[in-house]
Amino acid sequence: MAKKDKDDDEFRPTGTIAVLTIFVITLIAIWTTIYMILVGRGSTL
Amino acid sequence: MKQYQLSTGEKKFIGSHLLVAILALAVGSLFGPLQAFEHAGWDFYPYLKPFIKSYYQGLTVHGVLNALVWTTFFIMGFLTFNVTFALKRPLKNPTLNKVGFWLMVVGVVAAAIPILANEATVLFTFYPPLKANWAFYVGLTLVVVGSWVEGWGLFMTFAGWRKENPNVRSPFVAFASILTALLWQICTLGVAVEILTMLLPWSLGLIEGVDPQLARTYFWFTGHPLVYFWLLPAYISWYAMLPKQAGNGKMFSDSLARLSFWIFLVLSTPLGFHHQYVDPGVPPVWKFIHSMLTFGVFFPSMMTAFTVVASLEHAGRKQGGKGALAWIGKLNWSDPSVAAQLLAGILFFFGGIGGLTNASYNVNLVLHNTAFIPGHFHLTVATAVTLSFMGISYWLLPYLTGRKLWNPKWAVAQAWTWFIGMIIFSNAMHIVGLLGAPRRVPLGLAPYVPAEWNSRLFQVGVGGAILFVSGALYLTVMLKTALNKEKVTEEVEVPMAEAMQDPALTPDWLDRWAPWIYGSLALIVLVYGPVLFDMIKNIALTSPGFRVW
Repeated sequence: MAKKDKDDDEFRPTGTIAVLTIFVITLIAIWTTIYMILVGRGSTL
Repeated sequence: MKQYQLSTGEKKFIGSHLLVAILALAVGSLFGPLQAFEHAGWDFYPYLKPFIKSYYQGLTVHGVLNALVWTTFFIMGFLTFNVTFALKRPLKNPTLNKVGFWLMVVGVVAAAIPILANEATVLFTFYPPLKANWAFYVGLTLVVVGSWVEGWGLFMTFAGWRKENPNVRSPFVAFASILTALLWQICTLGVAVEILTMLLPWSLGLIEGVDPQLARTYFWFTGHPLVYFWLLPAYISWYAMLPKQAGNGKMFSDSLARLSFWIFLVLSTPLGFHHQYVDPGVPPVWKFIHSMLTFGVFFPSMMTAFTVVASLEHAGRKQGGKGALAWIGKLNWSDPSVAAQLLAGILFFFGGIGGLTNASYNVNLVLHNTAFIPGHFHLTVATAVTLSFMGISYWLLPYLTGRKLWNPKWAVAQAWTWFIGMIIFSNAMHIVGLLGAPRRVPLGLAPYVPAEWNSRLFQVGVGGAILFVSGALYLTVMLKTALNKEKVTEEVEVPMAEAMQDPALTPDWLDRWAPWIYGSLALIVLVYGPVLFDMIKNIALTSPGFRVW
């Protein structure tokens, strides 16, 4: 059985939330940039 | 507590996989930079005649050896290690696994001969109507069948363990490895049918023509889950090994890890049409359904990102890391295995973003068949996967051979040079693709290249040069380690991170196989069945073969 440390109970992955927030913002920015290229090339591409 | 001991024979068997994998990488990687140099206008191919006759022959060698041979051999060796070590038992039928391994070796040789003779210059996707010598298709078939046979050996080993441990939660590393081997068995049915019913009889002259649309559909039945066959072994390391190496961290959640692997099994096959958005023979409604399922894979991918980063954060905090991001600096960056896998993970963030844009039905029209695509998959298979495998080999080779890793500082430098080279190369490929540069084209010879592409194509060449140096560093470290006279003083500790919560508390339904397998097969039948039925009913074996290079 895995040993459970006191630190494990207190661990809150706040840094992980920060990393994933940066990821989602970057994702939206890049996706939108490419979408704007699509729109810029016209609707009959 | 003393760790489980693999026998010398088992270590040699796993090491044999690494040997073939690294040899394939060594040869295949020679040609990667040549492609990049060609794009930059430094064409070395004329100097390689008569051995290599064209850019496309070089591209075929690069793609087949790096994307298919390096990965498949490394993965089968790593999965074999994981299953035996995590279950603490030898292979149930080692002869079966050996037969599988040698079938794969014979297959590689059979495929390599026509490739080197310029009789199979069909790139690693081998799309018809490009036609290869029959030996190429036989070789690929043997590689796939050999990997199936090795997979059966792993399944038998797992079944033996389960019989003796009916109510015990399976160790995550063994569970995930078996699932990866199972995914491979399911998804390779596509290329198996493609080769055995069309390409092989066609190459032998038994049928006159081929149906390229049906062949592409079979190929992508395998082609996309192939990405997960590459990625899942890297994920196994990221989930369950890297946190331990990075700072004695624990896996954040055994349950989340298992759930994400199950969803990968269910969703990774029935979405191949997102590679065929511009194929005229696939009805749009099925492309739409596959695009939605592709976005479904975003969820286990984000679960993986969350669990892996949280496990690493746990390690960073244990080492005294503070703040929202400063804990990252406290991870064990001086360990080459850790540095390689962390850097692979960082670039995979961008690979994931590129994947989502590729998968978007409309946005894909901007990117399809442009240099953006190789830019993207050099972040995934050539970095997230390959750099992670390199990182794993930095502890696995010393473990298997009992020899010290030669010059760890060089190994750290190798990881960083790969990271930097790939940023330069891949970024330039993405941008030049967005500017309209096609993929699979020797751009150095193209008369239509506008001035605005030139600086980016130069960067492609620079990135390729740095990657060449990095690849040479890796091979040097591997060779010097294999020949190192300095032995390890104690057996190398296999990095196995405990889960924060006792795996025994993981819900039982996350350790039951039948419902997930039936669900996977049912979904495949639902979303591929009607289209394949229609395509097969209307099969048109009319296209002649072409050998254009």
